[in-house]
Amino acid sequence: MSCITRSLHLPVIAALLLACPGTASAHAIIVTSQPASGATIDKDAVAIRLRFNSRIDHARSRLKLRAPDGAEQALIPAADAPADEIDAEARALRPGAWHLQWQVLSVDGHITRGDIPFNVR
Amino acid sequence: MALFLDIFGYLSVVLRGLTLLAQSFTIGGLAFQLLLLRPLQAELSAEAIIVGKRGQRLLRLSAFGWFAIVLAALAVNMAALTGTLELSLGEAAGADFARSGFAVAACALGIAWLARTGHWGRARAIMLVALVGLALAMQLNLTHAASRLDVRWPLLAADFLHMLGAGIWIGGLPYFLLALNGCRSEDDQRRIGRRYSLMSMASVAAIVLGGTIMAMAYLGSFAAIYGTAYGVMTSAKVAMLLMLLALGAGNFLAVERLRRRDPAAPLLRMKRFVEVELGIGLTVLLTAGSLTSLPPGIDLSQDRLSWSEIVERATPQWPRLSSPSVDQLTISQLQAKIDAADAQRVTAPQAYVPGEGVILPRSAADIAWSEYNHHWAGIFVVLIGVLALIERFSWGRWARHWPLLFLVMAAFLFFRADEMAWPLGPIGFWASWRDPEVAQHRLFVVLIILFGLFEWRVRLRGQQAGRAALVFPLTVAAGGALLLTHSHAIANIKDQLLIEMSHTPLALCGITAGWARWLELRMDGRISRAAAWVWPVAFVLVGLILLDYREA
Repeated sequence: MSCITRSLHLPVIAALLLACPGTASAHAIIVTSQPASGATIDKDAVAIRLRFNSRIDHARSRLKLRAPDGAEQALIPAADAPADEIDAEARALRPGAWHLQWQVLSVDGHITRGDIPFNVR
Repeated sequence: MALFLDIFGYLSVVLRGLTLLAQSFTIGGLAFQLLLLRPLQAELSAEAIIVGKRGQRLLRLSAFGWFAIVLAALAVNMAALTGTLELSLGEAAGADFARSGFAVAACALGIAWLARTGHWGRARAIMLVALVGLALAMQLNLTHAASRLDVRWPLLAADFLHMLGAGIWIGGLPYFLLALNGCRSEDDQRRIGRRYSLMSMASVAAIVLGGTIMAMAYLGSFAAIYGTAYGVMTSAKVAMLLMLLALGAGNFLAVERLRRRDPAAPLLRMKRFVEVELGIGLTVLLTAGSLTSLPPGIDLSQDRLSWSEIVERATPQWPRLSSPSVDQLTISQLQAKIDAADAQRVTAPQAYVPGEGVILPRSAADIAWSEYNHHWAGIFVVLIGVLALIERFSWGRWARHWPLLFLVMAAFLFFRADEMAWPLGPIGFWASWRDPEVAQHRLFVVLIILFGLFEWRVRLRGQQAGRAALVFPLTVAAGGALLLTHSHAIANIKDQLLIEMSHTPLALCGITAGWARWLELRMDGRISRAAAWVWPVAFVLVGLILLDYREA
C-alpha cells in the first residue's frame, strides 16, 4: 500500500474505531507505586502509596506484606487516602526480599490483585 | 474455592456478556412494543396482535433472564470477595456494585412481572419505561465511567446512549424477525419495516455518538488502538459493526422498495439479513462482555505494541512442521531471541484477576510446540477451504467428503492442544478440566467433531439434508464468537497481545464464513451463489492466518 493511500485510510479507520469502543467497565490497575516494583530500600520503614486508574472501595481492599522468611503481615490502609489510592506504613523491615501483595475492589465491582517485589538493604 | 477462583475471570466475562444480551433484548422488546406495535396498532392487521403476544412473551423471558443473570453475576462476585478477603456476606453485599446489581435485578424482575400480560394501560407503560431507565442508570454504576476520577458525567451519558442504542437496535432484532415472519400482509411488513428502520437509524446514531465520546476518553490515541488489547477488541467490534451496517443498509433499501409498493421488493432477503444481523449482533454483545476484563487503553502507557512489532510478527515465514518432543526444553536459537526480547521489555506493575495467577516464563520448546499445532491446523483448514471450492465445480464432486478432515483435525487438537493434560501429560483427564484454557480447547474439539459429522451427512444427502445443514454455519459462527469471548491479561503483556492480534482476524473470518454459509443455505439466487464462494474463501483465509501464526 502506498504512503498516500495509507494516509487516506488511517483517518477513516481511526474515525470508525472511535465510533465503537463499547461499554467500558474494567479492572483497576496500578498507575504508580511506592515502592516501585523491584526497588531497593535503604531504610527499615517505608511509606506505601499505590495509585490506581480508578476509584477504589477502600473498605474492601487489602494490603499484605510477605517477609523474606515467608511470614505474612496485614497492613492497615490509611483512612484519609485519596479515592484512587491505597496508602499504608510498613515498619521494622529487616533486610531481604519482600513482597507487597495487594487486592482492590474498584467501585464498579471488579476485583484485581497483584504483587510488588522490593528489597530492603 | 480454589477451583472457583480458577474460572472466576472467564465466568465473569461470560456473565457480563449474557447480562448485556438479556438487557438488550429487554430494552429492544419494550421499544418494539411501545415505539412500533402500539402506535401502529390501528393500521396493522389481526396477525400483528399475535406477533405482539409473542413479542410480549419474549420480553418477559428476556427480563426474567436479565434478573437471573444479574443475580448469578452478583453471587459470583460476592463469592470471590468473601473468598479472597475475610469479609462477611453482609459486608460484601454492602459494596456499591452489589447494591447497584440488586437494584438492576429488582428492576428486571419488575419488568418481567409488569410484562406478564399484553394489556398495557398508560400507567403500566410508564412504569415499564421508568424501570428500564432506572435499571440502565444503575447499570452505569457497574461501568468504568463510574469509577473514573476525571469528569464522569459525559462518560456516564455516553455509556447510557450506547447501551440504549444497542438495546433498541440489536435487542429489537428478534422482535423484528418475529414480526416479519408473523405478519404476512405486505402492508403490515411495509409499515413495520419502515418504523423499525427509523428506530434503527436513531439507535445507530446514539451508538456512534456514545462510542465516540467514550473512545476519546478510553483510547485517547491512535497508538492505543493497535497497541493495547482494549484497542484490538474494539477494532473487532468495529469490524462487526461494519458488517451489521452493510446488512442494515441492504434492509433499508428493501424497506424503501416496499414503501414504494415495488412488487419485486426483496422480502425474503430482508428476513435472512435480519437473521444474520441477529447472529452478529449477539457476537458483538458477547465481545462487549469480553472488553470488560480490560482496562481502557489510555491507562496502559507501558508495554504497548509498536507498529513495527506487529508487522514483524505478521510477516509470513515457512510453517513449522516438525514438533519438539514433550520433554525437550530449549531450542537455543529461538530461546536466545526470546530472552533478548524479554530483556528489552519495560515491566509495568502486573495485575491479575483472582485465580489468573502469574504468567509463566515462555520456553522455546513451548512456543515451537504451539506453533507446530497452529501450523498443522492451518494446513487442515486450507485443505478444507480448497476442497469446498473444488466441490463447486462439476468435475469436483469427489471433494465433497472434505468434512471428514474436521475429524482428523479434532483428533490432532485433542492430543496436541494441552500437552500437560491426558493423554500426553501427567495431569489426568478430569483434573485438567479445572484449567479454563483446557476446558475451552475441549469445547472447541467437540464443536469441530459436531460440525464435521453434520456437514459430512449434509454433503452426502444434498438437498434432502434439511435443517441439519444449518448446524455447520451456526457452529462455525459460534466458534468465532467464542474466540472473541475470553478473558484477557489485565496488564499489557506483549506476547499475549501479539497472539490476540492473530486470533481476532481468525474470529472475524470464522464469523464471516459461518454467516455466509447460512445465507447460501437460506437464500437463493445471486446472493446465495456469491455467499457459496465467500465462505470457502474465508476458510482458506483462516488457514493462512493459522499458517502464519507465531508466538515469537
